Amino acid sequence: MEILRGINFAVPRGQFIAIMGPSGSGKSTLLGLLAGLDTPTAGSIVLDGQEIAGLAEDSLALIRGRKIGFVFQSYQLIPTLTAIENVLLPHELAGEANGLARAMELLENVGLSERRDHYPIQLSGGEQQRVALARAFMVRPPILMADEPTGNLDSANGEHVLELLLSMNRREGTTLVLVTHDATLAAHADRILRLKDGVIVGDELRA
Amino acid sequence: MPDRFSLSTARKIAWREARASSTRFLFVILAVSLGVGALTGVRGFSQSFRGMLMRDARQLMAADMTVRAFALPTPTQESVLEKLARSGVDQTQVTETVSMLSIPSQSTPVLVSVKAVDPAVYPFYGALKLNPPLTLRQALQADAVAVSGDLLVRLDIKTGDTVKLGEANFRIAAVVTAEPDRMAGSLNVGPRILMSRAGLDRTGLITLGSRAAQRVLFRFEPNSIPVSRARAELKEAFPDAQIIDYRETHPLITRGLDRATTFLSLVSLIALIVGALGVAMAMHSHLQQKMDIIAVMKSIGARSGQIMTIYTLQTLMLGLLGGAAGIIVGLAVQRAFPPLIARYFQIDPGLHWDPGSALQGLATGVLTTLLFTLPPLLSIRAIRPSIILRREMEDARPHWRDRLKNGRTGAIAGAVIIAGILAIGWWLSESLRVGLYFAGGFLASILMLAAIATGILALLRRAARWSRQALPAAIRHGLANIYRPGNQASALLVALGLGVMFTLTVYLVQKSMLVQIANSAPPGMPNVFLINITSLERDGIAGMLHHQKGIQGPAEVIPIVSARMLRIDGAAVQDLPLKGFSRRFRQSRSVTWSDSLNSQTVVTEGKFWGPKDTAQSAGVQLCVGEDVAKILSVKPGTRIDWIAGGRTFTAQVSCVYRSEAVRIGSNLEFLFIPGALDGIPTLHFAAIRMQPALVAQLQRDVFRRFPTVTVINGADVLAIIQDVVDQIALVVRFISFFAILAGAIILASSVAGTRFRRVREVVILKTLGATRRRIAGIFSVEFLLLGAVAGILGSLLATGFSLLLLKRLFQVDYRFEPWPHLVAILLTAILANIAGWLASYRILQQKPMEALRNSL
Repeated sequence: MEILRGINFAVPRGQFIAIMGPSGSGKSTLLGLLAGLDTPTAGSIVLDGQEIAGLAEDSLALIRGRKIGFVFQSYQLIPTLTAIENVLLPHELAGEANGLARAMELLENVGLSERRDHYPIQLSGGEQQRVALARAFMVRPPILMADEPTGNLDSANGEHVLELLLSMNRREGTTLVLVTHDATLAAHADRILRLKDGVIVGDELRA
Repeated sequence: MPDRFSLSTARKIAWREARASSTRFLFVILAVSLGVGALTGVRGFSQSFRGMLMRDARQLMAADMTVRAFALPTPTQESVLEKLARSGVDQTQVTETVSMLSIPSQSTPVLVSVKAVDPAVYPFYGALKLNPPLTLRQALQADAVAVSGDLLVRLDIKTGDTVKLGEANFRIAAVVTAEPDRMAGSLNVGPRILMSRAGLDRTGLITLGSRAAQRVLFRFEPNSIPVSRARAELKEAFPDAQIIDYRETHPLITRGLDRATTFLSLVSLIALIVGALGVAMAMHSHLQQKMDIIAVMKSIGARSGQIMTIYTLQTLMLGLLGGAAGIIVGLAVQRAFPPLIARYFQIDPGLHWDPGSALQGLATGVLTTLLFTLPPLLSIRAIRPSIILRREMEDARPHWRDRLKNGRTGAIAGAVIIAGILAIGWWLSESLRVGLYFAGGFLASILMLAAIATGILALLRRAARWSRQALPAAIRHGLANIYRPGNQASALLVALGLGVMFTLTVYLVQKSMLVQIANSAPPGMPNVFLINITSLERDGIAGMLHHQKGIQGPAEVIPIVSARMLRIDGAAVQDLPLKGFSRRFRQSRSVTWSDSLNSQTVVTEGKFWGPKDTAQSAGVQLCVGEDVAKILSVKPGTRIDWIAGGRTFTAQVSCVYRSEAVRIGSNLEFLFIPGALDGIPTLHFAAIRMQPALVAQLQRDVFRRFPTVTVINGADVLAIIQDVVDQIALVVRFISFFAILAGAIILASSVAGTRFRRVREVVILKTLGATRRRIAGIFSVEFLLLGAVAGILGSLLATGFSLLLLKRLFQVDYRFEPWPHLVAILLTAILANIAGWLASYRILQQKPMEALRNSL
């Protein structure tokens, strides 16, 4: 089954692009491909100057670890690690040492320095997502991928997370790819790409 | 970028991760500890029991090993003995000879068998009992002896009287009522005279060239050199001596010990495999839980190698912790059981803490844990990180077993596991053969089980589809549960099936072995022997025995002819390169004839003659014992020339036999066809079973009517043999019971191990409005069905495996009985159900929301 076809677009460095579309339009699949979580059956994906289509799983993992930060709808924190350990994890997986100061700083940025030793299960949904945000920025990735980051949150918490996401994005100068079907969320983006049944039906650059 | 992801980082992450999910880990650790506990427990018991059985067997020769020669040790030999003594091997010398004893009032001397010992140390094992109850040291002064009861009967004397032996007079200090190694010596004609070495010196009997047997008894201290090495050294120093160790005291004991040893190591292996199954199931479901986490880790940049390192370290940690806990479990079991078994074993099995076997248990625990977690660990590579973008994670992920079927990794993992099992089996049983059987049996059964499980699951699915509406809802859902994706039905089926197979095998093998052991030492075995019966006395003795009080069953009277071999297939026996004790074949041997074989003798090669055949009708034939055949390279068809009673004749070997019966007195190694020995002077030998208390009366009666006939009382020796055999049976039973119990517990725990996977399912069912009762009903159908199917598969495989093991390893026949199988199937179903229930109970009580939050 073909999920995506004839997709062709480029995202310049530092842009905030929102990918919109109804359920089943293929937006999650597109995000997976862009992030190197999946490999396309045909075509080419260039990430930060590097072709990633057809790369082996471990090479992809290395690229993900260094270049991409993730924020998921269902947070995807490691339930068996504390907040601070979750933030530290990408740093440690990259084989780096002494990340504690930055991890603390990031937790502070998202307002959770008091809860550094709590496990995800002890945090509310909004708090979990803020930890996930801190984790996403830990290795200073040039690109951030967000999949419905506020989809599981109530509006107050959702807004808080969105504000944090945008402010951190501005501070770190990250390229941001956001997948959502929420128009108010997409309204913050520099550019909106609309997807339907696996094809691009709109590409709108905003002021 | 250089890889700076170090082992210590991996260890850190592994440790953090483990710390948080302590409850789940506790479960895995528990499973590992059960497995290791079963292993160390069974092995600990086996070793203790083996030691106990060996100790019993040693009583029959009063030592661990003996060297018997017909000459005093030469200086070179003395130095070898001294060297052994220095390396912690106790030794004492026993001298045996035959002499004439007389009393002042009677002119006819009596032929007696003299035995001189060092009363301070003899015997190393067993107890020599005297009446009055003196110690040997008290009784055996230089001027005193202890004698057997029959001497008092013959000479009509009593304790305290004086007898003359050689040049000296001795006071009879006591009567020997029990002498454990009575049959181990040679020159056992006539009543026993037991004396000290100082006493023997006074007699002047031992001069250069006098016919006396020197027996050196050895006892090996726990930390002295190995028996086998000492044996080799002694063999070199004493080329002409007969060297035997405690394993050879008696054919029955040897075979019994061999079988028991094989059985015990087999059971240890089975305990290990069943334990490993528990470990594998626990680790499998543990890692299954981790799939989501692994996907997340991958999405934030973890490579498969890193994740595998993290989880391998975690597994190692779990294996170590579980192994350590298991050793404690094993020890606790060993400590807890003695009070229970003390009722059945007279001798304390002497349980002891053995760091070596504990270490072995730990190593095997860790090794098997690693081995069995290999497939899920390898499957980490196949987890695609994109699954976290999908909401239906369970279905998006193929079962690792399915992927294994095609994958190369699967084949490698399988090969490594089988090789690992082979190596562990080899190591634990110290036998490559057992290891091969084991790994082979494991491989064959796992393949068969997997194939059958897949088939049955497909069948169930089809059956459920056809009968969709006809079945009650609970049964329908229960059935549907089994083939639902993500359910571990086929893994559980394989694990349960294997568990049932191994556990039932233990039962079946021990059952057949017990039958065999009971047959080889039947309660009616002869314990008293009459020797030197002439042909004239034969009928008189037979008649007398028929009426004697206390005799159980018919008396067996065997003719004995003294014959010497001249040539074997034309080659002169005198020229054969016979060494040591084998030289006995150059002298006259006792032979007999018979028209049938007794029930304890089996033909191993060739064919026994018919009941009506005679030398005249079927030719001069003979059968030989297994040992003879081996030493002389004789097989059916070999022609042997004999000389007996001044007559030479040729006989052809028609069969080789093995005797499992107790052989006391005469060792009959040659059996002729009736008629072959006609006309040659014949003595007879009678074997009877009688109440030990009435043997003295028989001795008196026989002496009065047939003064030349000697009565040998083997009741004490036989009592020891029967004791050992009974104990072997008891040990086998006990260990089996323990292994089966451990198997049941581990099987139950592997069913219970699936509980974490049930959380989500319960939540969904509850959310949809199912009551706890309904959910429990659904689970019951699922577990009962799984248990029954696993029971059927396991019992089928157990039949095959037992058949193979019994035939090949134990040389015992297997008889099929339906009952154990039916019981096994039923028990498995019930056990699976109870375990499933217990495991799901807590989940059922939970509020759905609580579980939802927990179930990420």
